[in-house]
Amino acid sequence: MWSYFANPGRFDGLARTLIPWTAGLTVVLFAVGIPWALVVSPPDYQQGETIRIMHVHVPAAWLSMAAYAGLGASSFVYFVWRHNLADLAARSLAPIGAVFAALCLLTGSLWGRPMWGAWWVWDARLTSMLVLFLLFCGYIALRVAIEDERLAARSGAVLAMAGLINLPIIKFSVDWWNTLHQPASVIRFDGPTIHASQLWPLLVMTLAFTVFMVTLVLSLMRSMILETRAIALGRAIERRAEAEARR
Amino acid sequence: MSALAALFARELRLSWAGGGGAAGPAAFNLAALTLAPLAIGPSAETLAAAAPGVIAFALLLSALQSAERMFGEDTADGTLELYALAGPGLALAALVKMAAFALASLWPAPLIAFFAGLAYGLSAEASFALAAGLALAAPGLVMIAGFAGALSAGLKRAGLLIALIAAPLQVPILIFASGAGRAAAEGTGLAGANLMMTAAASLLALVLAPMGAAAALKGRLE
Repeated sequence: MWSYFANPGRFDGLARTLIPWTAGLTVVLFAVGIPWALVVSPPDYQQGETIRIMHVHVPAAWLSMAAYAGLGASSFVYFVWRHNLADLAARSLAPIGAVFAALCLLTGSLWGRPMWGAWWVWDARLTSMLVLFLLFCGYIALRVAIEDERLAARSGAVLAMAGLINLPIIKFSVDWWNTLHQPASVIRFDGPTIHASQLWPLLVMTLAFTVFMVTLVLSLMRSMILETRAIALGRAIERRAEAEARR
Repeated sequence: MSALAALFARELRLSWAGGGGAAGPAAFNLAALTLAPLAIGPSAETLAAAAPGVIAFALLLSALQSAERMFGEDTADGTLELYALAGPGLALAALVKMAAFALASLWPAPLIAFFAGLAYGLSAEASFALAAGLALAAPGLVMIAGFAGALSAGLKRAGLLIALIAAPLQVPILIFASGAGRAAAEGTGLAGANLMMTAAASLLALVLAPMGAAAALKGRLE
C-alpha cells in the first residue's frame, strides 16, 4: 500500500482530497478547544490563570518531538529505499518541528517567569528541548547549504538518523545532569494526575494541533511536488523554444 | 590492514607537516583556558567551581576547531575517490583518519586538563578524574566533529555548519566528562560512574560516527 502511494502523482491526488478534511477538522477542533482551554476551564488552585499557557505549551512540546520522530523515520525510508516522497516529508517536517520547539520554549519561558521566578532555568527538560531545537536548526542549515538536491537529501537523511539515535542519550544525560521540571503527568501507569477539567481541553487542543500539523505537512509536500513539476515544465518549454529557434 | 596502517601513517605525517599544524587545537585549548579566568574573575571559589566545565568545554571547542580540514581537503582534491576505491572501504578509512587526527592533535589534552585543573584550584584527585574523563571523551568528541565535517565537506561556511551539527550531538559526552571532574571535586562518589558513562558515549560514537561519515562521503562520489 505504501509503495502504491509513493508515486508523487497519486500522493498529490490523495493529499488534494485529504487537505480540505484535515483543514476543516483543524478549524472545528480549534473552535472548540481554544474557548474551552482559554476561557471556560477553571483556573488552577496553585498556578492560577497561567495554567492556560499549558494548553499551547504541551501540544507544542509533543508535536516537536513527534516531528523529529517523523523526520527520523522518513529519513530512514529515504536513505534505504530512496522514495522521493519520504524526502519531501522530511523536508517539510523540519521547519514545522523547529517552529513548534521554539513555541514550546517560548511559552515555557512565559510560564516560568511568574511560576518559577525566572525566564529560563537550566532544567533537564528545558535543556533537552533546546537541544532538540538545535538539532532541527542543524538539519535545516545543512540542507540549505548544499545546492545539489540529491546530496542535500542524502546528507540530511544521515544527519536526521544520527540525531534520532542520539536523542535518547541526550535526554538521559541531561536528566542525569539536572532535574527540576515537574514529572510526566498525563501519560502514566496509574492514570493521569491532572484533573479532568484541565485534561479534556488539553486533549482537544493536542488533537487540534496534531491535525493542524498533518494539514501543514500535506500542503507543504504538495506544494513541493507542484514546484518540481513547474520547474520541469519550464525547462521543457525552454527546450522546445530552443529547438524551434534552431530550426 | 596494511593499507589502513599506511593511511594512518600518512595522516599523522600530514598533520605534522608544514610546521606543526597539529598543534593548532592544543594551542587553542591553552589560549581558551588562559583567557577564561580573566573573563570569569579571580575569585578562587568561583574558579574552582567552574573549572571542570570550562576545561571540558575548551576541549570540545578545540576538537571542533579543525574538523573542517579533516575531510574537506580530501574531498576537494579527489583523494576521497581513491579511499573509496581502496580495499578497506570508506567507513574504515574515515575511522582511521579521525583516529589519526585525534592522536596527532589532541594527545596533550588530558595533560593540559590536569595542569589547568590544578591551576584553577581543583585538588590533584579531582584534576586527575577530570583529565581521565577528557582522555575518554576526546575520541568521541573527535568522531562526532569528524562526522559533522564529513557532512559539510567542501561546503561554503563549513565551520558554522560543523558547530551547529556537532554541538547538540556532543552534549552527552560533555555532560559526563565534566561531571566526572565535578563529582570528584565535590566528593559525591559519582566520578567513577561518570567516567564509565563517558567511555560508553565515546565508544558508541566510535562505532557509529565512521559509518555515518562514510554514508555522508559516499553521497559526494555519485
